[in-house]
Amino acid sequence: MEKTLKPKGLTQEELHWILEVTRRLAAPCDLATVLSEVLDAATGVLDAEAGTVWLYDPTTNELVLQVSNDLEPIRIPADRGIAGACLRSREMINVPDCYADHRFSPALDHATGFRTRCMLTMPLVGHDDSLVGVLQVLNKRDGVFDANDEAVANSLRAHCAIALQRVRMTEKLVVAEKLRQEISVAREIQIGTLPQSAPAIPGYDLAGIFHPTDDTGGDTYDFVPTADGRLMILMGDATGHGIGPALSATQVRAMLRLAQRLGADLDDTFRHINDQLVDDLPDDRFVTAFLGQLDPHTHELRYHSGGQGPLLHFHARELRCELLTPTTFPMGAVPLARVSPPRTAVLAPGDIFALISDGVYEYQDAQNRLFGEDGVAQLLRREHARPMQELIGVMMDALAGFGRGAPQLDDITMVLIRRLPESPATERAVAADAGARIAAQSFARSLDSLDPIFAFIRDFCEAEGLDPAARTSIGFAVEELFTNMLKYNAAGRGAIELQLACAGREFVGRLSDPDSERFDVTATPDARVDLPIELRVPGGLGLHLVRRVMDAVEYDYTGRCSRISFRKKLETS
Amino acid sequence: MLEIGYGEGGVIFFAGRFDAAQCARAQAFVDAASDPRVFDFSQLEYISSAGLGVLLRTQKRLQASGVRLKLLNVNNHIYDIFRYSGFDQLFEVTRQGT
Repeated sequence: MEKTLKPKGLTQEELHWILEVTRRLAAPCDLATVLSEVLDAATGVLDAEAGTVWLYDPTTNELVLQVSNDLEPIRIPADRGIAGACLRSREMINVPDCYADHRFSPALDHATGFRTRCMLTMPLVGHDDSLVGVLQVLNKRDGVFDANDEAVANSLRAHCAIALQRVRMTEKLVVAEKLRQEISVAREIQIGTLPQSAPAIPGYDLAGIFHPTDDTGGDTYDFVPTADGRLMILMGDATGHGIGPALSATQVRAMLRLAQRLGADLDDTFRHINDQLVDDLPDDRFVTAFLGQLDPHTHELRYHSGGQGPLLHFHARELRCELLTPTTFPMGAVPLARVSPPRTAVLAPGDIFALISDGVYEYQDAQNRLFGEDGVAQLLRREHARPMQELIGVMMDALAGFGRGAPQLDDITMVLIRRLPESPATERAVAADAGARIAAQSFARSLDSLDPIFAFIRDFCEAEGLDPAARTSIGFAVEELFTNMLKYNAAGRGAIELQLACAGREFVGRLSDPDSERFDVTATPDARVDLPIELRVPGGLGLHLVRRVMDAVEYDYTGRCSRISFRKKLETS
Repeated sequence: MLEIGYGEGGVIFFAGRFDAAQCARAQAFVDAASDPRVFDFSQLEYISSAGLGVLLRTQKRLQASGVRLKLLNVNNHIYDIFRYSGFDQLFEVTRQGT
C-alpha cells in the first residue's frame, strides 16, 4: 500500500473538491467520461492548466493516451520518460522544470503546441495493487507544485485509480457479452443448417444429433436425398471450437448441397470439397469428414472418410461391432488429384452404421476414464433394436450417467443409419394372405401353462379344420420351444406370447419372449442320434426334433425380445 | 393328462399325453417299479423330448442287466419322434397295428 500522507493544510475548499470528485467518480459511466472527470478533478483541485491520463496496457507493456474518441490513441513504451519512471517506482514524481529534466520528452508538446513548464506525475494503482496507469497534471497556474499539492494529489489518485479500474472491468464485461451474443447468432445459423428431422427412407431408420460443448462447435451432419432414391450422408468435425470451425463445418455442408444440386457423384463431391478446403483453410486447420451414399435397394453404403473414425458397423445377426478406420486424410489437408474407389459396407437386416464423434468415445468421467469403444459397443448390443432417435437419447443418458456430472469436454455428434429388420415369418405370411387370421394368447412362464397351451392349440386347429397329425406336430413344436424358454430364461419378465396362423396352405406359429438374452435356436447343432446308448444323455433333443417336425424355424431378436417362428406346409386333404 | 399303471403280466401302460409337465411323476413311477422292461403305449397319444428323457434314463438303468426296453403299440407320431431321435435303435419298438 502507498504511504498515507497527512493532508496537512488541506483547505475546506480542497476537501470539498475531493469529496465531490469521489461522489462523481462513483457514478457508473463509460471510460471517456471517467477520464474527463478525473482530469477535471485533478486540474481543478490542483489549480493546473492541463492534465493527462496514461492507461497502462499490460499485454503490450505500453502506456496509452486516448486523446479523443476520434483519434488513434498514442502509445509509448511503459519504461519511457517521466511517466515510465513513475510507473516503475510507483512513486509520485514532482518536476518543477520539465525542460531541465533529461527524462522529459517534448514530443507531445511539439505535437500539441502546448508548453509544459512543471509537472506532477502520480501512479494510479488499483485496489488489487495492479497498475492502472499514470496521471500527470501540468503547469501550476502560479508557480510550481509544492508539498501541499502532492498531499492533495495523493488523496485524489487512489479514487481515480479505482474508478478507472472499475470502468475498464465493466467495459471488458460488455465486450465479452457482445461476443457471446455474436457467437449465439453464429450458433443459430449453424444449428439452422442441420436437418430438422431425418428423411424417411423405406426400410431404414435414420437419426442424427449435434450437441456442442460451448456456444458453438465445429461439427455438422446432413442427409441429402437424391432423385434416384439414394441418400447422401455427411458427418464432419472441423478442428477446434468456436466460430471459426463452425464456419468451416457449415461451409462443408453448403458445398455438399451445391454439389448435389449440380449432380456430382460421390467421388467428385468428396474430391472437390477437399480441394476447396485446401484453398480456404489455414495450414493448421482441417475437417475430418465422412461422406457416404446409401442405396436402400442394394443396402450398400459406399463412402469416403477423410480422417473421420472409428466408423462403427453393428452386425445385428452376431451382435458384433466392427470398427472401421478412415479411408483417407482429413479434408483440407492435401489436394487430391483423384480419389481411390469408395469403401462399401453392406447392411444386413437390423444392422446399424454409426457415425459417432470423438466427443462420445472420449467422454470422460471425473477420474478421466473414457466411455470408449467398449461403452458404445455394449450399449449398441443392448439397445440396437430401439428406434434410432430413442437410441440417441439412451446414448446421451448413458454418457451423462457415466460422467456423473463431469462436464462435457468435446462436441457430440451422432448419425445412426439402421436397416430395419425384416418382419417375422408370421407377419409376412399373414400379410400375403388377406383371409388369414392370427390367434394369439400369452402364457405364464411355468410348466403349468402347458395344458392351457395345448387347449389353445386344439381350439385353433378345430377352428382352422387342421387334421390331428398337424395338431400333434404344432403341439410338439410349441412344447419344445416353450419349455426351452423356461429352461434358459426362467427369470425373464413378462408372459410368453404364442401366435398361431394359417396362411394359404401353410401353418405359421410364433413364440415371443419379451425379456431374454439372445439365443438363436436356429444356430444350435443337431443332436448325434447315432451314438450307442452309453453315450446318449437325456436332453438336447428338443430343437433337433422341432426342426424335423416343422419345415422351417426362424429366429429374430429385437430389443430384449426373442421371437421364434416355425412353419409347416399343410397336407391337402 | 397322463395315466400310468400296471397291466397284465407286469406291463406298464401309459395313456394320454406324456409332456414336460408329466415327466417328474412318470420318472418317479418307473423308478419305483421293480422290473420296468415292457411299456404299452397303445393308449399314449403324444410324447415330447421330456418323455424321451424318462425312457432313456430307464434304459440306462436296465443296461447293467443286459435288458432292452420293449415299447409296444407305438402310434405314428411317437414312432416318428423315436426315429428322428435314434431311439428306434435303442429300444425294441413295435408299432400299432403290427
